Amino acid sequence: MEKDVSNPSFFTNRELSWIQFNERILEEAKDKENPLFERMKFLSITSSNLDEFFMVRVASLKDMIHAEYEKRDIAGMTAKEQLIAVNEKTHNFVKEQYHTYNKMLLPELSAEKLRIIKSHEELNEEQIKFVDGFFADNVYPVVTPMAVDSSRPFPLIRNKTLNIGALLSKKGGKEELEFATVQVPAVIPRIIPLPDRADGSKNVILLEQVIERNIDKLFLSYDIVCAFPYRIMRNADLSIDEDEAEDLLKEIEQKLKKRQWGQAIRLEVEEDVDKRLLNILKKELGIKEEDIFMIPGPLDLTFLMKMYGMEGFEHLKCSKYIPQPIPGLNEEENLFEQIKKGDILLHHPYETFDPVVDFIKQAARDKDTLAIKQTLYRVSGNSPIIAALAQAAENGKQVSVLVELKARFDEENNIGWAKMLEKAGCHVIYGLVGLKTHSKITLVVRREEDGIRRYVHLGTGNYNDATAKLYTDMGILTCAEHIGADATAVFNMLSGYSEPKSWNALTLAPLWLRDKFMQLIKREQDFALEGKEARIIAKMNSLCDKGIIEALYQASAAGVKIDLIVRGICCLKVGIPGISENIRVRSLVGNFLEHSRIFYFYNYGNEEIYMASADWMPRNLDRRVEILFPVEDEKLKQEVKHIVDIQLADTMKARLLKEDGFYHRVDRRGKTLLCAQDYFCKEAKERVMKEKNLENKRIFVTEEPSRE
Amino acid sequence: MKKIRFAAIYIRSYETGIKIYELSGKQRMRELNSVVAHLELGTDAFTKEKVGQDMIDKLCKTLNDFKEFMKEYDVEEYRVCATSALREVVNTRILLDQIKIKTGFDVEILSNSEQRFIGYKSIASKWDDFNEVIKKGTAIIDVGGGSIQISLFDKDSLITTQNIKLGSLRIRETLSALENRSGHYGQYIEELINTETYHLKKFYLKDRNIKNLIVTGEFITSLIDLSDSNEINKSASFEEYMKIFDKIASLTPREAAKKLGVPPENARLILPFAIIYKQFLQVTEAERIWAPDRDLGDGIAYDYAEKNGYKSQHNFEDDIIASAKHMAKRYQSGKNHINTMEDIAMKLFDATKKVHGFGGRERLLLRIAVILCDCGKYISSVHSQQCSYQIVMATEIIGLSHAEREIVANIIRFSGEEFLYFEEFSKVTSLNVRDYLVIAKLTACLRTVLALDRSYRRKCKNVTFAVKEKELMITVISNDDIALEREKVNENIAFFQENFGITMSMKQKKSI
Repeated sequence: MEKDVSNPSFFTNRELSWIQFNERILEEAKDKENPLFERMKFLSITSSNLDEFFMVRVASLKDMIHAEYEKRDIAGMTAKEQLIAVNEKTHNFVKEQYHTYNKMLLPELSAEKLRIIKSHEELNEEQIKFVDGFFADNVYPVVTPMAVDSSRPFPLIRNKTLNIGALLSKKGGKEELEFATVQVPAVIPRIIPLPDRADGSKNVILLEQVIERNIDKLFLSYDIVCAFPYRIMRNADLSIDEDEAEDLLKEIEQKLKKRQWGQAIRLEVEEDVDKRLLNILKKELGIKEEDIFMIPGPLDLTFLMKMYGMEGFEHLKCSKYIPQPIPGLNEEENLFEQIKKGDILLHHPYETFDPVVDFIKQAARDKDTLAIKQTLYRVSGNSPIIAALAQAAENGKQVSVLVELKARFDEENNIGWAKMLEKAGCHVIYGLVGLKTHSKITLVVRREEDGIRRYVHLGTGNYNDATAKLYTDMGILTCAEHIGADATAVFNMLSGYSEPKSWNALTLAPLWLRDKFMQLIKREQDFALEGKEARIIAKMNSLCDKGIIEALYQASAAGVKIDLIVRGICCLKVGIPGISENIRVRSLVGNFLEHSRIFYFYNYGNEEIYMASADWMPRNLDRRVEILFPVEDEKLKQEVKHIVDIQLADTMKARLLKEDGFYHRVDRRGKTLLCAQDYFCKEAKERVMKEKNLENKRIFVTEEPSRE
Repeated sequence: MKKIRFAAIYIRSYETGIKIYELSGKQRMRELNSVVAHLELGTDAFTKEKVGQDMIDKLCKTLNDFKEFMKEYDVEEYRVCATSALREVVNTRILLDQIKIKTGFDVEILSNSEQRFIGYKSIASKWDDFNEVIKKGTAIIDVGGGSIQISLFDKDSLITTQNIKLGSLRIRETLSALENRSGHYGQYIEELINTETYHLKKFYLKDRNIKNLIVTGEFITSLIDLSDSNEINKSASFEEYMKIFDKIASLTPREAAKKLGVPPENARLILPFAIIYKQFLQVTEAERIWAPDRDLGDGIAYDYAEKNGYKSQHNFEDDIIASAKHMAKRYQSGKNHINTMEDIAMKLFDATKKVHGFGGRERLLLRIAVILCDCGKYISSVHSQQCSYQIVMATEIIGLSHAEREIVANIIRFSGEEFLYFEEFSKVTSLNVRDYLVIAKLTACLRTVLALDRSYRRKCKNVTFAVKEKELMITVISNDDIALEREKVNENIAFFQENFGITMSMKQKKSI
């Protein structure tokens, strides 16, 4: 009997779950076990995350309310209910952020002789001289003060920019107050180092404070009544999230209402802002009371990421990890020859991304390569992959590249190099209508002595050599015939031609992936119902697909043991009696961004392990081109299993989701201290050492004296 | 043997596709890529008899894309073939020229029998179960967008083939007005097919005990995969198929496409195809339907592979001969007479090889001509050769191209009529000089063979031929009076000499 598992009370709202994720990052910022500068970085990340959350998710909720969209979410909440809950949580969250900043980080930084001068009033004589000089030389020429009066309307305040609002009164004039605003210029670094103090401490001040101090120089014929920084977030161009897009756009069309483009959805001001100034902002921006955030400190904490880069504090940072070479893979031998000997597993950033770049570089130069095909989602600024693809085309290879222009916040960047590739002679496909191509696949076709051989790279992360140093991702290099044939079919489909009659090993979203996952989960459920051992381990970034969660509930109810490693959003609840008691959820938040997607199914002893570019989210399963690929080589399967096992054994950075709906640290009593990310770093280094030792041994073996 | 990459490009009425193969000496054909574009050229062709500019542009774009696919695998050899959609339009030549200019491809228009034979070859050669299946009475239907071909087997030889001008796309276009308006759309399709299959059943199927129906055509594999009990690979029983059919017929085209896992753009063709399969299953009363999953692309590639050094398991020449014999039987030609003439003809052909310089294919054509030369007597004994000519021209012989069939028909015709010289001949035919010379020489052969059994009493069955210097020596070992035969041979000497450059003489040896 299938249980009824669809009750909304069995699910967590995804926005609230996302806020919990950001809270876990904030915990890292608070965690004294982390080096101080790393904690600064974590705090900065929570801030940029929250910005994106507002621009994308909160904006969406507002759109829904505006469109009178009544559909309830997975947890049974209307958009209005969600927004109310989100508002409360985000206000609290911001409080926590600044508590961390003011009460923990600032004092500790101070103790390390690094001071962030809170306000210009605290400057000493010497510093004042420096700051004013800095203003006159660097800032004054680039700022544009704007006053508002009957002839000059309220100016357009740009999204996410930092501004200073001021109240002015005409010198010698009446009491009447005028509003003026000036944007803190983005071309000048926000952190301004001050001359070192006699005690050897480093002092910095933020740019807005420098401007505030000198604001009278911008409005010469006025007296400055007050001046405060503020920042707004708008419901801007990109703000409809794809997860809602389809339904929502329909709804809006039906109601014939236009979206409120550019409507301000959040206002941040310093908490001691002058009430008169705040009222003007409120009125002019049309912002609601609940969307105002009173900030006890500097607005926009993302400047902390820049602080992290400050020199001289290396002892307060984690030592920089250098991705290690892949054991068994050498640089001298042709990469294709090495792939021919067996599939190669890549685990970034513990292991280097170089083989992936080399794969394309070597193919570009190789005389036997006929064609290279690749999907590109987000690439780094100066991508060696793009350069290699262009070179390949120039060398007369057939090069096809699918460039996803719809990658969030990346469009312009993508168009630029896509044009460059076209110029070089590559065949560039600009994505598919209505679908984001999120899969990461590269196909190299070679003409070898014994015939055509196809080499394929499949990965869980983007072809981005920069993020590959920060995101944990996995990939496989193979020349298995059946995978090569599937890869060919993938690119046929991406070029707009029909799908193959059948697939050998790969499973693609949006057409087949959902069914495949459902079958895999169901198979475990069936084994469990027969009283056999059944187990699922799945690692991903987010889990919010209702169908999948329901299937997991059914499987759990049937007795399947399920372990989920979900970094971010998780709409599944654990410990629901009779439904999810067999499910454990853990989240890993570490120095590297957990990004790999791994799916393990016990399959009554015939273990199957897959990796994918997709999360268990509706958008991945229904509206994107994604690829699920199997790990087939027995040795590699064991390796992936080992990786998952270590992550399940993490006691340092893991948080467990409990019945109470909160994430808790692992109870370490009786357990070895283990941080999975550190473990993998160490292991990767050791493997390289071991290999080196082996080589050395081989060199130093002396000849046995002969017995004759 | 050198590895080679070959691309087969096929332009069909409802799709255009490319298959890229790697061929190697190890009898291996490895499919490297298969790409299909849904392009309904037939929609224009079958209703307006022309293919519109828009369609041609799309076709050329697709072909240019295919060229890129070919580069990806460094394809060395290729063949581009088109079927009914380009064959049946009035502006074929203009279209081919446009395609040539825009893509560089020379498109070959396959005649129906060539197309079917190629398709059939791919089934016979690549499908392991084939030889087993055809041991029992078997029919093959090859269902396309424009027409359906049905071929019948008797004891593992192909004996007859018929073309029915009703393909899935043609049906859909014919009934397009009714598709959305009527709940009886399926019924109309059935009626349309029934009128066509009525005669087929009456003339060809009545005494055949057909057990197996082999189907090539769109969706059949997916349809059969829906069967609950797939006990035998790639096949379904009559009852299973009917169940599947009912399931599919109850769905909307979109639902059906989803159910079958096929792209939605093909959805509207599913029902016509499914009904065709059902109707033929009913009309042949076959117990089992088979889907060997081969298409025209496979066939073209196989054909190439075979011509370049592959051997096939199934002897296709036997199929051609068997179907010719079956045809002769239908027109009540004397079996013994034919066998004797065949024997004589082959001896003659082999003995004069040095003089005519022909190969195996011409030998086959002569043999077919011998087998079919008496068909016309069924209609009229006065102008029997003319009647035979007409019959051959109107009957499809799977495995022979249209040109080859015309050659055979002409050999028969000229065996009894005054021979035409090329200038005159070329006014009424599109055959070329080489074809003409084949006709001339083989006519001379056939005339000689006919002469040697003039009496229909097989007096010259023990005959030997030998070329000595400038003479063909015909030696007959017989105790009968062969004066009539001798006279006929002598009548033919001049024509023979004209064509072969040598004379001939005949002598009789009596056996003791």
